[in-house]
Amino acid sequence: MSGEKVPGKVIGKPDDLNLELFTAIVASDRMCLQKCDNCGNYHHPPRMYCNRCFSGDHSYPPVSGAGTVHSYTVSHHTAEPAWRAELPFVSVVVELDEGPRVVGAGVVDDPESVRIGQRVQVVPERRTDDFAYLTVHFDKQDNR
Amino acid sequence: MMTAGPKPSTPPAGLSGTAAIVGIGETDYVRGSDKSILQMVLGASMDAINDAGLTPNDIDGILPPPGFVAWDEIAAHLGVKDVRYTSTPQMGGASPTAALLTATMAIAAGVATTVLVPIGWNGYSAIRPKPGARPNRRRFTAAFFETVRNLYAPYGLRSAPWWYALYLQRYVDLYDVPPEAAGAVALACRKHAQLNKRALMRDRPMTMQDYLDSPYITTPLRKLDCCVETDCAAAVVLTSTERARDLPHRPVVYLGGAEGHSAPADELTNRPDVLRLGLHAGAPRAFEMAGVRVSDMDFLEIYDCFTYVVLLQLEALGLAEPGGAADFVKGGTLELGGRYPLNTHGGLMSQGHCWGLNHVVEATRQLRGEAGRSQVEDAELGLVTGYGDLGDGSIAILARGDR
Repeated sequence: MSGEKVPGKVIGKPDDLNLELFTAIVASDRMCLQKCDNCGNYHHPPRMYCNRCFSGDHSYPPVSGAGTVHSYTVSHHTAEPAWRAELPFVSVVVELDEGPRVVGAGVVDDPESVRIGQRVQVVPERRTDDFAYLTVHFDKQDNR
Repeated sequence: MMTAGPKPSTPPAGLSGTAAIVGIGETDYVRGSDKSILQMVLGASMDAINDAGLTPNDIDGILPPPGFVAWDEIAAHLGVKDVRYTSTPQMGGASPTAALLTATMAIAAGVATTVLVPIGWNGYSAIRPKPGARPNRRRFTAAFFETVRNLYAPYGLRSAPWWYALYLQRYVDLYDVPPEAAGAVALACRKHAQLNKRALMRDRPMTMQDYLDSPYITTPLRKLDCCVETDCAAAVVLTSTERARDLPHRPVVYLGGAEGHSAPADELTNRPDVLRLGLHAGAPRAFEMAGVRVSDMDFLEIYDCFTYVVLLQLEALGLAEPGGAADFVKGGTLELGGRYPLNTHGGLMSQGHCWGLNHVVEATRQLRGEAGRSQVEDAELGLVTGYGDLGDGSIAILARGDR
């Protein structure tokens, strides 16, 4: 649920370019990525210079959030009390359709069902003005 | 757009064989030391200097790892009077093995003559302090901690097993790597630890069934895929190969080595190939500098923070094709008596976690012919790898020198 505060879990405290990215995500309530204003290349995490054309000009437009599972891990153990009730939980590396990959929390009934290549949707959830928690949804796509 | 063209493939001139390891020292590997990190590091350093037949006044270069102890306090407490060169590699567990290259460069260039590479930490006690113990004073400065804080830790991915699992699960799924392949790594280390009186896991033998029965931490990593956290320190001393011949032990010559880094180094999920480690880039350069092939190696001391990371490094070294490490490790390849004995001291998995400098110490023993019951017969060439932070790599190819 948007805006829900989960006590005890790490909340990101981004600086510099990460702060610019997360501020854009929170403000638009949509997934955003850094985009080069010169050549249109997307980067994550955001960089001072485009790694394709080396321009220093960029912005943070919203993107669809659609992507595929690139990798994942199912945690059966945690050293963090805040995560104990959620075991087992799945963390997903999503390759967004724009190219960059993001890590997010899988929202799925059966963590063992996650497979590389599945289509997913990344949905940000606001935590603070500076940070949004990325959730990865499987049910909105036609998975095998 | 103009480009710089291909990088020269010629190995750095004049480095191979110019420096040698002449002294080694290490503490016991324990859970809960009564000593401070600085005490342990100084003890291992003094042991290494004594082992080399030298005194602290002979040391003029100090290359400590990041985060725990600094060169100035090491120099001050040991009484080193003329420090000519210091630097600290910033690549976590790859730092000590990378420091061997830096030391060799300093010695070959004449900037320093005799270099101390120390490491120590309270890997166990830092997160399980004894009552009244003071917390660590220092912190790490690598940029990837910013990545962890904002992009991994909010999802419960707060320390190394959870970070590396983000790519290791892809390795397992892409190549159908069976758990028994990782188990073969864990078993070889545990078996070798039984021969080492300083190994934490001595007298605790392990079977494949024990391995398979161990609970998952985070897939694909089981508990027994993870190395053991220990309090410990180690140190080595290098000097010129020429000078080494006058010292008490047979020199162990630095034949070649390299650093290697994935790009980007500060975030591991956005690499074009998330399974390409720093070592994939560094290993070919090291073999070229050394003028030897991986098939010339008599043993392997590979950085074993996690078993699956060892499998990937075997591939990075050229011992197997991508995904082929699982077949490579079958049939006792990695055990003493096999073709490529792995971590003959027990490794990070079963001796203790000393950032891989314990691997350098063990390689030195092997090449001196002083490895006792773990001795690889007629060992003349061996390698050590380092792995740290989000996949930085380092490698050292070492040779038995002339007396």
